[in-house]
Amino acid sequence: MKDYVIIGSGIIGSLIARELSKYPVSVLVIDKENDIASHQTTANSAIIHSGYDPKPGTLKAKLCVEGNALYDQLEKELSIPLLRTGAFVVAHNVEEENMLTHLYERSLMNGVPEVYYLSGDEARQSEPLLSESITKVLSLPTTKVTFPWEVAIHAVANAIKNGAEFRRNAHVVSIDRKDDHFILNLKDGTTIQSKNVINASGVMSDIIAKMIEDTPEFEIKPRKGEYFVLDRKAVGLFKHVIYPLPTASGKGVLIVPQTHGNILLGPTSYEISNREDESTTRDGMKYIKDQLKSLSTKIPYDLIIRNFAGVRATSTYDDFYIQESKIYPGFYHVAGIDSPGLTAAPAIAKYLVQNIIKMALPKKTNFDPIHQPKPLFHSLSDEDKKKEIEKFPKHGHLVCKCEKVTEQDIIDAIHQPTGNDTIKGIKKRARAGAGLCQGGYCESEVLKIIARETHKQPNEVNYYALNTPILTKETKTK
Amino acid sequence: MKELTCIVCPVSCHLTVDDSLKVVGNRCPRGEKYAIVEMTSPKRMITTTVKTTSTDCPRLSVKTKDPVPKELVFKILEYLSDVIIQKDVNIGDVIVSDIFSTGVDIVATKAMIQHDEVKR
Amino acid sequence: MNIDLTIIGGGAAGLAAALAASDQKLKILIIEREPRLGGILNQCIHNGFGLHMFQEELTGPEYAHRFIESLQEKHIDILLGTTVIDIQKKDDFHITLTSEKDGYQHLISKAVIIASGCYERTRGAVQIPGERPKGIMPAGSAQRYLNMEGYLVGKRVFILGSGDIGLIMARRMTLEGAEVLGVAELMPYSNGLTRNIVQCLNDFDIPLYLSHTVTNIKGKDVLEQITIQQVDDRFEPIPGTEKVFEVDTLLLSIGLIPDVGLFDSLQMQKSPMTKSAIVDQSLMTNVKGLFVCGNALHVHDLVDWVSKEGEKAGKYAKAYILEEEQRLKDLKSVIVGPNIRYVVPHMIDFNHLDEPIQCSFRVTKKMALGLFKVIQNGKVIIQKKAKYIAPAEMENIVIKKEDFISNDPIEISLEELA
Repeated sequence: MKDYVIIGSGIIGSLIARELSKYPVSVLVIDKENDIASHQTTANSAIIHSGYDPKPGTLKAKLCVEGNALYDQLEKELSIPLLRTGAFVVAHNVEEENMLTHLYERSLMNGVPEVYYLSGDEARQSEPLLSESITKVLSLPTTKVTFPWEVAIHAVANAIKNGAEFRRNAHVVSIDRKDDHFILNLKDGTTIQSKNVINASGVMSDIIAKMIEDTPEFEIKPRKGEYFVLDRKAVGLFKHVIYPLPTASGKGVLIVPQTHGNILLGPTSYEISNREDESTTRDGMKYIKDQLKSLSTKIPYDLIIRNFAGVRATSTYDDFYIQESKIYPGFYHVAGIDSPGLTAAPAIAKYLVQNIIKMALPKKTNFDPIHQPKPLFHSLSDEDKKKEIEKFPKHGHLVCKCEKVTEQDIIDAIHQPTGNDTIKGIKKRARAGAGLCQGGYCESEVLKIIARETHKQPNEVNYYALNTPILTKETKTK
Repeated sequence: MKELTCIVCPVSCHLTVDDSLKVVGNRCPRGEKYAIVEMTSPKRMITTTVKTTSTDCPRLSVKTKDPVPKELVFKILEYLSDVIIQKDVNIGDVIVSDIFSTGVDIVATKAMIQHDEVKR
Repeated sequence: MNIDLTIIGGGAAGLAAALAASDQKLKILIIEREPRLGGILNQCIHNGFGLHMFQEELTGPEYAHRFIESLQEKHIDILLGTTVIDIQKKDDFHITLTSEKDGYQHLISKAVIIASGCYERTRGAVQIPGERPKGIMPAGSAQRYLNMEGYLVGKRVFILGSGDIGLIMARRMTLEGAEVLGVAELMPYSNGLTRNIVQCLNDFDIPLYLSHTVTNIKGKDVLEQITIQQVDDRFEPIPGTEKVFEVDTLLLSIGLIPDVGLFDSLQMQKSPMTKSAIVDQSLMTNVKGLFVCGNALHVHDLVDWVSKEGEKAGKYAKAYILEEEQRLKDLKSVIVGPNIRYVVPHMIDFNHLDEPIQCSFRVTKKMALGLFKVIQNGKVIIQKKAKYIAPAEMENIVIKKEDFISNDPIEISLEELA
């Protein structure tokens, strides 16, 4: 019997797990996939928005601005990557400049701590590749960029350090209520019992809600967002997050420098019928390139190494839906978390625990907020590199040349408490395969290392989900 | 009647050969010869791998020393799938001699000498 | 460590360069990241190598072995399992290496030959739309898994790209028990050798879909289905021509790209056409003492020419190191004329014409009969007729000192005769 089970280990579920682990309660965070954070959290722009965009008075506005400020503390406590890029919202003519004025006023209403105007020329001084047709920009210096799934993974690691548990491949198919607790029935036939359940299941959250309520107050209307990724060679071409003016469908197609040096271009925003359809499309990619013309005509598309898509958990409720179930006390929905979900995440976790759960227990005195992940070898100073390589000679074996990942980095990524034993799981943690050649060279090495470290045969190493082995049968065997 | 592309030179003539071995489409006598051989007794080189007991080198590349009848290719591959190399091998060493009485040996195209490999 | 000549890469190009440069007076080092020499030849177990170099038809490993064997008697050092991670120039080259055995090492080298080969173009680089399940990989990766480790990556395969790598893998996967449902090729003709079309596709009734490309990929966790479509002459997919294949594997054989990113730190000037260094006839780049050869310089179709190029780089690198007096260069461009895609070398040094210059180039379209022209000051100084010209077949023209009529830039062009 657990005190709290959190369904979903994306950025929301992970930070909720950590927040709850501050209290003397038992916490289990589960995910239906084979790893922490597999959907929205791995397919967004990675921006910590300033708060210029959400409608004033909404939870989105309040928690966006609060969350933005909390990332500084997260950086210190969890050693998450954080780029203080600032942002420009750009205008091309008088009509658009008037819209900037609305955004300026909205920023003030939402409590954005710093916002001011720049002329197009001033903006181009720090961003020379911006389109010449930009006349005025709104500068939002509190905008930052993080690396979302690293935040989730570090949050879970810290939660585990403080007594929480994580379980993967735990797919909830139905939920029963018995006496004063809930029984989660999993696909594999096992059950989990918990006094309280937190529904942080992203694009699935109305499906989970329907397992205990007939008519939840929200319905998920999934919206796809497609992106391009530029190779790290593009680092420094743009230093700020560049936004066009927002529209009804969202903040628009953006240019976003990333913490590992890449640049993200996108997203699109359109409703889809199949919430699990994370495919990229020709039309989507064309749309992104067309829209970006008004931001810059000097984007090096020849540096594209990848494109991906994610599905937003947009809901019919006109705001974040963070409420206790009206039917069953102890069942909490943290649903409809689309943009600015990543930004608001740390504030959502606090808001849930303090305002909705109304946690009465005092915090644990022995809660340790600090998580010190082992840094990747290439990020160390020359001096530290020398020390580490002496202790761990396998740092001398460079496996991924594109991202400078060593064998020891990969071994650590497998064995850490929030480690993973899949090709994509290693890519998420150690970056092997995330670079220019996209694993063309190093995947076979990574596979061999995973097999060795987890005592598996090479054809048992999965790409990501269970039963996705890269290698099928060994040749010349019956 | 068989349609084929001649591979003797870059012209790549499209040839047809009928059952009486009349060849049409060739621009030189070499093409006619090629078509007749392909129709009557086509041969192929086989290059493949065989299993070894080495962990550094789990597969050893091998080849037929000369072309073998095309219709024997899969039979030869099946036979080779049971071969396991357990000792050091030099390039050119005969792995299977006179496969299926074709007069053709299967030879190693790679050396497998354990102590020369760098151990990580 | 002080080295005279460092050769980065111990594959076909690097091995030939080392042998050509070897000299009692020189300290030569080959750095190779794999645990063995041979490079990509080790996984190319098919034959077709060496017809020009050795007048024999050899498999990849056999071809590599000829060079590796010759290395034994020479005064050449080799570091295996070692990767170059940084290179700077301050008069000499300061190179940082890493290996499990020796950790980080630094060495100073008078000259460097880049022989680091290519990497394969990825799905992301051409933005094939669709889902991102497992089962999509470059053909070379599948070749490595199959020929070196002994594993098939799938049972029902489709291949995109009809260059020789794609064709060879179509046959190889079939021989090892997979079903290859087809090969799609964007162009209206295959880039591969006719022999490979016949012996890798026709022999096994594997259909070749010319002017087609993959336009969709389906499968959440594992590949389930791909869609190919015919393309028009602007390479846009034609609606209504969709063909669907239920496969678990899509192999990509869509091009090779020189692996020279590491050398950007040296401000090496690059050509956008070849995506690699601009060199003169000595294969030296704008960075003094830095030479490039093999696939790292431009993608070759025959390894024999890779070896010849490696020999040239080794020879000129040795001369560079041993030459007391360094003559100034008089560099002029080689202009790429009509129907030519690129030419190597990109520049000619008119102060060093003691050796004939071999210009290697690729054409932009197929021709039954064409006339290659070398033009200087508006005059045709060399012309050469050739039959059955194709982009997939690298051509060359040799220019001797006496052929030049001035020290001005030359142009290489191709006139279509039929």
